[in-house]
Order: sequence, then structure tokens, then C-alpha cells
Amino acid sequence: MIGFLNGLLVTIKAGFRRPVTAQYPDPEKRLKIESRFMGFPSLTWDYQIEEPYCTGCMVCVRECPTECMSAKMKDNPLFSEGKSRRKKIIDEFEINLGRCILCGICVEVCNFDAIEMSHEHELSKRARNGNRFDLQQLLDLGIKFQSDTKWEPKQPEKNSGVPVKKINQNEDK
Amino acid sequence: MKINKTINSSDSVDLMINMGPQHPSTHGVFRLLLNIDGERIIEVEPHIGYLHRGSEKLCEYERYAQVVTLFDRLDYVANLNMELGFCLAVEKLMELEIPDRASYVRVILSELNRIASHLLFYGTYGLDVGAMTPVLYAFKEREKIQNFFESVTGARMMHNYFRIGGIKEELPDNFNNRLQLLLEEVSKGIEECDQLLSKNEIFLARTKNVGVISASDAVDFGVSGPNLRASGVARDIRVSKPYSIYDRFDYAIPIATSGDCWDRYYVRLEEVRQSVIIIKQAMDQMEEGPILAKVRRIARPPKGEVYFRTESPRGDFGVYLVSDGSDKPYRVKVRAPSFANLQSLQYLLKGAYIADAVTILGSIDIIMGEVDR
Amino acid sequence: MNFTQLFTYSSYVFGLFLSLTIMVLFLTWFERKALARFQMRMGPMRVGFHGTLQPIADAIKLISKEDILPAWADKLVYWFAPIIVFVPAFLVWVTIPFGKNMVLRSLDLGLFFIVAVSVLSILGLIMAGWGSANKYAVLGGLRAAGQLISYEIPLIMAILAIAILNQSLNLVEIVDSQVNIPNLFIQPLGLVLFFIAGLAELGRTPFDIHHAESEVVGGPFVEYSGAHWSVFYLSEYINTFTIGILTVLLFLGGWHWPNIPFSGNLQITLSVLVVLFKTMVVIGVIFWIRATYPRLRIDQLMSFGWKMLIPMAFINVTITASVLYYNLSLWILSIISIILLILCIFIIQRKFLINNEINTIKLISTKSLLDEKNEFELN
Repeated sequence: MIGFLNGLLVTIKAGFRRPVTAQYPDPEKRLKIESRFMGFPSLTWDYQIEEPYCTGCMVCVRECPTECMSAKMKDNPLFSEGKSRRKKIIDEFEINLGRCILCGICVEVCNFDAIEMSHEHELSKRARNGNRFDLQQLLDLGIKFQSDTKWEPKQPEKNSGVPVKKINQNEDK
Repeated sequence: MKINKTINSSDSVDLMINMGPQHPSTHGVFRLLLNIDGERIIEVEPHIGYLHRGSEKLCEYERYAQVVTLFDRLDYVANLNMELGFCLAVEKLMELEIPDRASYVRVILSELNRIASHLLFYGTYGLDVGAMTPVLYAFKEREKIQNFFESVTGARMMHNYFRIGGIKEELPDNFNNRLQLLLEEVSKGIEECDQLLSKNEIFLARTKNVGVISASDAVDFGVSGPNLRASGVARDIRVSKPYSIYDRFDYAIPIATSGDCWDRYYVRLEEVRQSVIIIKQAMDQMEEGPILAKVRRIARPPKGEVYFRTESPRGDFGVYLVSDGSDKPYRVKVRAPSFANLQSLQYLLKGAYIADAVTILGSIDIIMGEVDR
Repeated sequence: MNFTQLFTYSSYVFGLFLSLTIMVLFLTWFERKALARFQMRMGPMRVGFHGTLQPIADAIKLISKEDILPAWADKLVYWFAPIIVFVPAFLVWVTIPFGKNMVLRSLDLGLFFIVAVSVLSILGLIMAGWGSANKYAVLGGLRAAGQLISYEIPLIMAILAIAILNQSLNLVEIVDSQVNIPNLFIQPLGLVLFFIAGLAELGRTPFDIHHAESEVVGGPFVEYSGAHWSVFYLSEYINTFTIGILTVLLFLGGWHWPNIPFSGNLQITLSVLVVLFKTMVVIGVIFWIRATYPRLRIDQLMSFGWKMLIPMAFINVTITASVLYYNLSLWILSIISIILLILCIFIIQRKFLINNEINTIKLISTKSLLDEKNEFELN
């Protein structure tokens, strides 16, 4: 009979504890998202130059296991004006977030701190192709992620877009 | 013993019941055709393949770092053990020495994942026999473990954390404190779970002497893991062929004698306690150091083949890898433990009651993700 | 009787019906909340304050669903089965007292009436199974009927023992004869028998194999949907409430323990509250058991009923009758009851521990295995 009573004891003790439910519909009662959480990928915005960090080098596009990204680069108009160090800049970028498996490989291989896994994880759209995010939507995600987590690039000197004054005077690029 | 492969529908006059692919108790999409006579089962015909995603073929088109994401999704309950098996196989082929700290982190996280997998087994097994609270207690503890994983690897389930040569990134700062707290809570939780169900007379009536498989039969069928240890065979790959750094720890493996459903259930509960002991020893022995060996980002193992076995929570997980020197594998074959364990189902269900079919199926603890790949 | 009497009686019956319906709606909410708290979660929270309007939402949902009629079903049998299950559940309430002077009709054959009428609902279950034109429903219905019929016997025997003890079948008199000491202390074995047999009659865990979803199909109710199914659902909760209040009235002293000092209308109101409170405690225990235990297999259920409960029930009746016949002190009855209870527990323990102990696990240290590496390969 001891087995019977032991079980009853466990449930009655649990009955007096605080429930562990986090009531999801209320925004303030949800679970806390850790800082390393890998949500949807998003592109970061360089506030010093007012342009994306992404130069369109396509390394992340090549390394993606599900091939859910496509990108196109263009010549950077700010570079020819002397305001930025980036010779090329991203022109079009599309990620099909329905295909993305949130593995984080694109972030690992990026050389420019351009793509980061944001903390967004809720995605439902009414349009059939609503999960295909273009450049502006990805930058919006990225800007929200940067402001929520006070994001700093991992290699600020290497990836900064601020133009460097050359020491020899004959060329000023 | 002779096992009938197919049931000829023209000469059977008994009732055939279909436990279809969508069923609350078949642990995934698994179809079971039962040929019954009254309350007893005469023939069993299992149908698998509903979750086949072509993982092994897809591996031939992905680089080694991307193959790890595919292995995550094989046994989706014990992801890190799958990644560990693959990474160790490639490292053996490349004859790579990985730094100690990476090995310790790998062992800690794999054993935590073993605890999470056994907790899921406990919860769903309670549901199979009809108790509705064990699942919530088990998932409360599992939720804590998954939250912990989120803080270390970035994801609750599909971690993609182990790399060829080590691990992806350094541990967070409060790792030790958080892990200490987590282990205390999980130990208390598993004691509570044990007290709730294990000695309950109704549970004993449902699981004692039900689905008995003897030691020699279990070895003949290729059963491995906790199922084999519950039948009395003391075989654990972590002990017989130690891989990674498992020979540095002092723990015990639980062996049972009768091989019925209760033994299979309790062996897993004891394994959770032993995993906690391993993690504590690993935390004490871990030192500072590098986390990734000096290896190129795109790994190119030399030409050759390797077969590597590890002990996943379900049993003997084997990875057979053939490499032709390029950056993509030539062939990857996975020896899934649940696939071999499932073969003993036909033998176990003969002559059992219909109500026992669910109990026995639950105690073998299969995950269709690795049966079908 | 003339028109005014008819009018007053029918208004009383209507009031009873209304209060029972509200009680049942409250019970559905209470069950979900209680189960949730035992499982460390919250239960319904969004509809109304802490989910109190949830039963109304459930009722609206069930009524608005389509009533499916299978093509080969026997229409008359299919339609009447819920009614035959539902009507006896309400009919027994004619003679059950809520409190002092709060009974619709105090019959001298009260307990006999209750037992006779409540057995009728088993027929409704068989009709539900047969009328569904589904072989699994027929099997489930027959299984359910077998379980219910076999557990009627200990229930009736427990009630018979109480009737012998209190020398009456009238519920009001039974409660009144418990003024000094409730029957719980005189016949603890009777209480346990009545409670377990009542649980099996309700079809609740651990005896709910006939509508369990983790088995092959869902039992005799598999083809019912919408408002039809809600009738079965309601009748189960009415029966739960009936078993609860019968336990209180027969064994726990009804409204007499603790004794209420006031008089008049205040006494009547307080007596109703006392009875309701005790019933809620008993129903809470029923939900507590549901949250904790797994379910028994059908053959284990039947063997438990026939081999353990029925002999105990007969022994209980015999001992009560003989104690009363020989005018012995009632304390002998309670001592013998407790001894029999302990004997039952002992028998159940021995059943599982014969020839093997529970804990068959031994731990083998890995260091010892590594040392004797050659001989551990195959035992």
C-alpha cells in the first residue's frame, strides 16, 4: 500500500506549489529569451555610416545547408564619395524564412559581422509567400535586434566602415 | 525462432486491428497491424517509413559542417549524442587530437541530453499506462534542461553546437553556477518522479512480467542500450570501447535481471542518476584551454572509411563514413539503435494482450526519426 | 392532487434540475482546475476570471457542433441511448437530501429506489455501443457494461450493510442516526468498498479503460458528437456528484457532524453548506486519485472486483448482521473492519511480491568492469 500512498503524497505536495506555467498570450509573462538564442537571421545596420554592414560577398549563401538565401551586390555609391570603406554593398538579399533551419552557420562564416541571428521566433503571415523576407524587412529585424540587445560587432576595427585617412598624400580614396 | 514476414489476407479469419500511423501511443508515425483473437495478439506486422526524409542521401551533398545539422534531426530527442557520434567518427578518420576542454564540454552536454531523453521516456510511458501527471513532472525538468541548453548553444533542440575538432563557441560566464543549480533541481525532480510511479501497485500490475525478453534472445535480436541491460547483459559501449574521455570517470551502470517492462523503465531512471554523477565529475575535472583544434573550416578528411560506435540514450549508435578526400562525404550510413530494438517487437507482442501492446511498445523507447532517417 | 399542488411540486422539481445543472457546470470547472493544480499548471484562465466562464464556453461549443448520425446506425437506438443514460442520473435526486428538511420526497425505500434506478443507465451504455454500427463501439460498450455490472455488487452490498446498521432505508433517518458518531468509524471497510465500487461505477481512473484514448479506440461513445455527446458527459458528472453526496450521507455523517447549534432557517442553510463542503472534499479526493494513478487493464479490473471486493463485501454484511443480531458493542465491528482492511492491503502487497522483489536492479561499477574486461562481454 505504500506505493499507493507515496504517489498521492507527491501529487498533494505539488498541488500547493506555485504553477510553473508562463502564460504566453500576455507579453510580460512570457519566458525570458537567452542572449545566445538563435532566432531568424537578420542583417545588421552600421549606424556610423548609415548603410548595412553586408557587402554581398555570398559566403553565407554558399554555406547555407538548405540554400534558402540569395543575394546580389552592387558598387557602393558612398565609397566613390569617400564616405565609406566598403567597396561593394548589398543590393538585393532574400531569405526564405520558411526554409531556414536556424542552424547559425551563416553567422559563423560571415567575415563582416553583417548577419546575426535575431531573437524573433514567431512567424505567421497571411500571404502564401509571406515568409520570403527581402532586404528591407531583414534590416528592420536587424535594427530591432540591435536596439533590444545593444549589439556590438565582434570585430569593430576590421569591419568598421569609417574611411581611413591614408598616410601617403598622393591618393585619397 | 521463426518470424512470419507477411500476413496472407486470404487465409486469416481473425480480426485485424490497425494501430494507424496517427495514434496517440505509437511514439511517432508508426503503423502496427495486429491480428487478434479475442484479447490475445497472434500476429504483428509493423510498417515503418512514414518519416523517411532521405538524410543519408542528403549527407552526400553537404559539407561536413553542414552534415552536423542533418545529424541533429535524426534522433530529435537526443540531438547532441547524434552530433557527438558523427564528429568523433570524422575525427577518427582524420586522426585529429581535440583539446581536452572541448571533450569535457561535449561529455557534459551529451550526458545532459541523455537525462532529457530519459525524462521524455518517463513522461510518455506514464501516459501509455494511463497516468496523466508524470508527463508534466517530467517535462518540467526537461524544460529546465532545455533552457540551460538555450543559454549555452543558442537553441533548445537543434543545437548544431559540436564541430569537427571541438565545439562552436566558448561557454557563457555563469555556466558552472547554472549547471550546479540545474543538477540539484533535476536530482530532486527525478526522485519525485520515481516516488510517483515506480512502486505504485497499479503500475507494477501493468508492467511486471509483461514483455519479458531473455538475455540470449536480446543479444540475438541485436537489441542494445537500456533494453539489453534490463535483460541482464552487462554491455555498455562507454565501458567496453571507451571513446572520448569516458574512461576518466567513475560511475556505475545499472543491470536488471528479469527483462520485463518494469526493468526497462527502471534502468533508465537509474541511468539518469548515473549521468548526474558523470556530469559532476566532469565539471570538477574541466580546465581552461582552447575549444577547437587547429583544423580548417572546411574539413577534408583523407580517403578512407571508418565505423564509429557511441552509446546514445537508445542504444548502440553507429556511424559508417566513407570519404573520398573531398569536402563532402562519399557515403554516410547510420546504424540506428531504435531500428534494431524495434525488431524485437514482433517477438514480444506474440501472445500478449492488446492493452499490453502499448505498454511494451512504450518500454522499448523508439524514436521514429532515427528508425526511418 | 389539485393544480396548486402540481404547480408547487413541479416548481420544486424544476429548481432541483436547475441547481443540479449549475452544480455540474461548476464540477467541470473544478475538475479542470484541480487536475491542473496537481500537475503544477494553471487550468482555464482566460475565459472569465480564472476560467469560471469556461463551462459556458464548452456548452456553446458542444451545442453548435454538427450531430453526426452514421449511415448504418440504428436510428432509434442511437438517439435514445443518451436519454436512457441521462434520465436515471437525475431521477435519483428526487430522494436525496441536501440538508435538514431539504429533500424533495423522503421515501421510506430511499436507498432501494436509488440502487434500482441507477442500474438502468447500464442499458443505455449497451445501446450506445450497439447503435453506433462500429464494431469497436460494440466491443467497448460490452466491456463497459461488464465492468459496471460486476462493480454494482460491492456497491449494493456496502449500502446493504449500512441499511442493516442503521435499521432503515430512508436516507434522512440514516443521517439522523449518525448524530453521535459517523458511520466512518464504525465501518471503515464499508467506506472503502463503497468508494472504490463507486469509482468503478463512474468509469473514472483507475477504472476508465472503456473510454481510454491510449488504447485502440475510444469505447462506446466514439460515434457521438456535439450535443449528443454532451449528454453523456453531463451524466457522468451528475453521477460523480451522486456518489459524492451518498458517501457523505451514508458514511461521513451528512449534516450532523459537526453539529450545528442554531435553529430555524439558519440551521437549514448551514446544514446545506456543511453537506456541500463535505461533498466537495470527497469529490476532490476523486480528482486527486484521477491525477495520480495509472489505469488497470480490463482483466485485472475484473479480477480485482470479483476476487477481492465481492468477498470483502459479503464478509462485511455478514459481520454487521451478526454484530447486530448478538447485540454486541459496535466497537467490535469497527475493530474487525480495520483488521479486514489491513488484511486486504496485505494480500495486495503479497500478490506483487511473491517470488520476486520489486527492485531487481543492481549497479555495477565501471571500474570493476574495466578490470575484468574479458569476462563481461556476454553473461
